[in-house]
Amino acid sequence: MKSMAIIIRDDSYDKILTPLGFAYLQGAEGCQVDILFVSWAVRALTEEGASEISIREGHCEQEPWMRKQVANAGFPENIRDLITAVHSTGSVNLYACSMAAKIFGVDDSNMIPESSGIVGSSWFLNEKAVPADYSQTF
Amino acid sequence: MPKQANITTLDTSGLSCPMPMVKLNQAIKKVSPDGLLEVIATDRGALTDIPSWCNRMGHVLIESNSDNGTYNFLIRRIVG
Repeated sequence: MKSMAIIIRDDSYDKILTPLGFAYLQGAEGCQVDILFVSWAVRALTEEGASEISIREGHCEQEPWMRKQVANAGFPENIRDLITAVHSTGSVNLYACSMAAKIFGVDDSNMIPESSGIVGSSWFLNEKAVPADYSQTF
Repeated sequence: MPKQANITTLDTSGLSCPMPMVKLNQAIKKVSPDGLLEVIATDRGALTDIPSWCNRMGHVLIESNSDNGTYNFLIRRIVG
């Protein structure tokens, strides 16, 4: 696989780990990974939003335990650190959906430096998702 | 696995997917062409991931074995 496109819409801690883990894995292998953050997940591309990510429902009480398990597995437990690690592979682009950015107050002034910017969903779908060898939505 | 000279060792014991593969991808870049990399893992996913990775990336899996939950792989780095 040479390229992969991922759309992330859920920013619950337990649900955002998987797509970022896949991106980390494939990015480390040199696969070109393009991620579009939509809906609530776009906030992960800000310092404040990344720091506030938590388990939203179902397993909230087990979050401290889960974070400890994640750390024990050698995985960056903190989402902000995980994004940095994913980006450090040099093969992963992190895009903010323009509509989501507008709704959730994400702009150039508060985006983390690892972000590749704000893009339209049409561009992402046609230029990144369609040509990609594999696409996933989380 | 017999000890040989000039083998780089990557010990991923205790790490779970995806970290062994992330670290493997980083480690292989530091191995000279035709050099050997020994990987130690305890994640069961390594049993499928590492042979598949070698095949996909063009490296040679020279040897693999398991011992009481620890998996060892000897990989020759192929460049080009």
